[in-house]
Amino acid sequence: MAKRNTFRVDETLQEEFNMRHILLASKYIKRYLSRMLFAMLMSAIAAGSALFAPMITQQALDHAIPDKDTKYLITLVILLIVAFVVSIIFVTIRQRIMVKVSQNIIFDIRKDLFAHLQKLSFDYYDSRPHGKILIRVVNYVNSVSDMLSNGLINTILEMINLVFIVIFLLITDIEMSLVVLCGIPVLAAFMFFIKNRQRKAWQMVSNKNSNLNAYLQENIVGARITQIFAREEENAGIFADLSQDCRKTWMKAVTYNNLIWPGIDLISVFIRAAIFLFGMVLFGTGAKSVGVIIAISSYAARFWQPIMNLGNIFNNFMNNMAYLERIFETMGEKVTVDNKENATELPPIKGSVEFEDVSFSYEEDKEVLHHVSFKIDPGMSVALVGPTGAGKSTIVNLISRFYDVDSGRVLIDGHDISEVTLESLRSQMGIMLQDSFIFSGTIKDNIRYGKLDATDEEIIAASQKVCADHFIVNMTDGYDTEVKERGSLLSQGQKQLISFARTLLSDPAILILDEATSSIDVQTEKALQKGLDTMLKGRTSFIIAHRLSTIRNCDLIMYIDDGGIVEAGSHDELIAKKGAYYKLYTSQLDDIT
Amino acid sequence: MDTTIRETKKKSWMRWLWGNMGGHRVLYVTAIFMTIVYNIMQLIVPYFSGRIVTLFEESASSGIPLSDNLNEFILNLSLMVGLTLVRITIVYFTCMAYEYVSQHALYKIRNFLFDKIEHQDMNFYNEYRTGDLMTRLTGDLDAVRHNVAWVIKSVVDSFSLFLATAIYFFIMDPLLAICVLSITPLLFLVILRFKKASAEKHRILRDKLSGLNTDVQENISGNRVVKAFAREQYEKEKFNRSNTSYAEANMDTQRTWLRYFPAIETFANLLPVILLLAGGMFIINGRLTIGEYVSFSMLIWAIANPMRMLGNIMNEFQRFAAASKKVMEIYNSKAGIVSKENAIRHPDRFKGLIEFDHVSFGYEGGAVPVLRDITMKVEPGQTVAVIGETGCGKTSLIHMIPRFYDPEQGEVRIDGINVRDYELTDLRHNIGLATQDVLLYSDTIEGNIAYGDSSLSSDEVVKYAKYSAAQEFIDKMPEGYDTIVGERGVGLSGGQKQRISLARALAIKPSVLILDDTTSAVDMETEKHIRDSLNELDFDYTKIIIAQRISTTKYCDKIFVMGDGRIIEEGTHKELCAKGGYYANLVALQMGTNLADVEKFGKEAI
Repeated sequence: MAKRNTFRVDETLQEEFNMRHILLASKYIKRYLSRMLFAMLMSAIAAGSALFAPMITQQALDHAIPDKDTKYLITLVILLIVAFVVSIIFVTIRQRIMVKVSQNIIFDIRKDLFAHLQKLSFDYYDSRPHGKILIRVVNYVNSVSDMLSNGLINTILEMINLVFIVIFLLITDIEMSLVVLCGIPVLAAFMFFIKNRQRKAWQMVSNKNSNLNAYLQENIVGARITQIFAREEENAGIFADLSQDCRKTWMKAVTYNNLIWPGIDLISVFIRAAIFLFGMVLFGTGAKSVGVIIAISSYAARFWQPIMNLGNIFNNFMNNMAYLERIFETMGEKVTVDNKENATELPPIKGSVEFEDVSFSYEEDKEVLHHVSFKIDPGMSVALVGPTGAGKSTIVNLISRFYDVDSGRVLIDGHDISEVTLESLRSQMGIMLQDSFIFSGTIKDNIRYGKLDATDEEIIAASQKVCADHFIVNMTDGYDTEVKERGSLLSQGQKQLISFARTLLSDPAILILDEATSSIDVQTEKALQKGLDTMLKGRTSFIIAHRLSTIRNCDLIMYIDDGGIVEAGSHDELIAKKGAYYKLYTSQLDDIT
Repeated sequence: MDTTIRETKKKSWMRWLWGNMGGHRVLYVTAIFMTIVYNIMQLIVPYFSGRIVTLFEESASSGIPLSDNLNEFILNLSLMVGLTLVRITIVYFTCMAYEYVSQHALYKIRNFLFDKIEHQDMNFYNEYRTGDLMTRLTGDLDAVRHNVAWVIKSVVDSFSLFLATAIYFFIMDPLLAICVLSITPLLFLVILRFKKASAEKHRILRDKLSGLNTDVQENISGNRVVKAFAREQYEKEKFNRSNTSYAEANMDTQRTWLRYFPAIETFANLLPVILLLAGGMFIINGRLTIGEYVSFSMLIWAIANPMRMLGNIMNEFQRFAAASKKVMEIYNSKAGIVSKENAIRHPDRFKGLIEFDHVSFGYEGGAVPVLRDITMKVEPGQTVAVIGETGCGKTSLIHMIPRFYDPEQGEVRIDGINVRDYELTDLRHNIGLATQDVLLYSDTIEGNIAYGDSSLSSDEVVKYAKYSAAQEFIDKMPEGYDTIVGERGVGLSGGQKQRISLARALAIKPSVLILDDTTSAVDMETEKHIRDSLNELDFDYTKIIIAQRISTTKYCDKIFVMGDGRIIEEGTHKELCAKGGYYANLVALQMGTNLADVEKFGKEAI
């Protein structure tokens, strides 16, 4: 696992914008290529139609007005209106098409990004603040929408425009055109100077925004902790620093952005001056007519307009590239736990679980499990005990393939779980984690998460089994009570009961309870035990718990320490053995006094 | 829906932004002024290039070589170049000034908002979801920045160009000017109608953005559960719905704009048409010369373009208006729980006498009663336990002490003074609370332990880790105390997280220590270690422990048994055993003996 990132640390960009990114981007554009081409055609027609305007005006000035031909003038005015209206109609059509295209493109990117995030395993989420993932899916994707749609079309249109103007220039006068085109290398040098600095600057902006987002998210989620430690002032200070970073990097980046436009303007004015100067000299010698000079100078003005527009697009592009490369970086993030190519569906689980010489480490040099082997028969209940951090959770995480083993195999009913699809594996398992996550929504929705098509009756039955029913019905809206984000209106024990009901409802073939009942009071747990017993019947189950009452009745108890199984057996066997479990058990046997 | 006093003062956005420009107002006004200047310059510069062209033309028609007029030629040329240089310099610095002031305002508002939400009470957090708050502080706030940096600038741009040209037109020929400008009121009318139509669309769009953010935020936080239930497909479908509705809202907003766009564009294009018609007629009538007409037509863009821009600007402005409403809602919000005026400062340690005097409390303004008429007293230095069924109100009870919630009736006192009368910071500085739902930060372990007191030395951090029985496992980690634990302490087991949270609470040397079921996930041996070390601490404190295990409660000076928001039994372990009530039953259950034995033990022990 890579070193964990925090809000203090900029994320290093793994891969600068490159060919792969362009291919990826073109994949999103390709789907809408025909529509975009059509939109471009609309734009071209609109522009063509608008070109009639100066001609019509010219007609009026040259003929209708000097001839005092009012009728002709009115005809020309109507023609002018027609030209404009046609132009507006086509522009509107183009815009309407592009609104859809640009929204579709970002919809697709966001959809794929989210889908990819669903595939990424725990270590991705564990190694960076969640705010940094979030900003990519929402804010960054929003930013790039225009660049991939209108930005692209406009670039092409402006380019075409530019080509036409250059052709007109060259037709008018080659020598004088060269003066105008002299501006191009100067501009290129200028852009080259700006480009890399601007890129770096926008990358910094995205980094700093990402840091800020990370800190913001943690502080909203952890508001209670901040308040109990009365750390508001200090946190506000840290936030202000992060905010200041954003501001500084932004100012630096826009310095470059704001240079582009004046830069182009500057070059263009010198070019025009040069045209006049050369014109004066050449005109003096009689080499150039006044018509040519005036024409060239007006084309030169038109020559710089598309370049200005391109400059704007360029700025946008530079800005958004910093976001796009982050988006693509996430999309390219390797899925560490994924379906193998020829993965098969795991048939309905009977329930035998086997570890075959399994070794595993989260971080490279620190092995958590060394050569663990065991076999569990279908329907057995297994308790994992031992000191915290010994590897109990790791074992159950490997059964559900939240991580892949470093060596050895995990087999369910004889199938290597790395050879079957994740969906078919996990959908047959019920896993209750230490942190019982409650989604915002109603209690009913939360329980239904275990079985999406469950009826209300099934939900109530499951809740009754885990003794959650009585507190739920006492709430304002019963099962329809909104529990708010992370179930903030519920006690920890209540959250555990709800997630218990959720797991029960999913009717798993293999049940894993990882400290699932730690916050439930003893009496409720006692009542729960009955439900649990029926639940365990016929299913293989793994239970991690500290309470002996939960452990004692299990068919097999495995004592885990230092990444291996120290001893295993039934409660009675292990007590008789007087080993580690015996010590643990007796130390917990309470005296009344 | 809640008791929070949240007055959303109707303060105009202009005054609000103006207030947040503090210190840079002069710069902003200068920028606005300079915007007017460079727009006027933009109108003047073409005059000089026009003059040069005229020189060429005159020379061509008269046959006099251009070199005879060299001085005028050079003068016009230098003015053209020189003024452009001045203009682009002004443009650059003006743009930077807008950026600077907008960043300053963004910085100020953002920090203010952060500070604001940090001081909000739990009701606020129950109402506003994380993703929503984040949207307000990022996306919505960016629309505010954009308004200062771009929208206002564009308004000035457009109006200064428009007005300058209009004035020029009036001076040239008032009648023609009136003819040309006659169309503009209609255009304003259209823009006003568009303003009305788009307001609602933008409001919806902001809501959808917030919804999208909330959904993704929750999915990321809950990624473990999603995977545990193999619900990726379901999550994708759920996300697609919010993604679609956001995209649709976006399209809807844009389409609203596109409905008005043709009208606005038509009106803008009518300006040169009217000029041609009216101007042509005037020339025919002899009111106007061709030359005058040309100078009109050369500048008609300076009237038409601003008109064209206004629609766009209005669209952006409405985006700002919708976003700023959301931002200002938080900006003007008031926390329900704050220090009262003339609150008692108490930087010193409390003695630790804690009293609950007929305290009643319920969530959602009392609609969900949680605590009913609680009266209890904890003497300084005592260790008391609170025990009771899941959901009986234990956590709510202890949350009254640091004022996470205020009681509806009755009062909570520390050292004889109502907790509401203390300065909030002083009160909380004196309370160490290890919460049930352990929340660690993505920081090093050392940083997490020293969260309440960043001045803590590394030695002290180790000391408190030892007290909390966390030393051993931390030492085993590859980077020890410098190991970065992920958000919410991922990578640590429940018991490990609880021990770090305990160390964090101890590290502030609280005079009141509250442990909310903090050892539920640690084994008994570790728990014993912790219990012993808590007795060795080098400072005096009163301790309130919520616990499930008899092994914890039996050592306490007093035990309060809670049931359905009331205290149903209180006394020492022995007394309660003898009483044969709820507690005695619990003991019997946990010991695996029968009630009679427990009672017998209790009676004998007393």
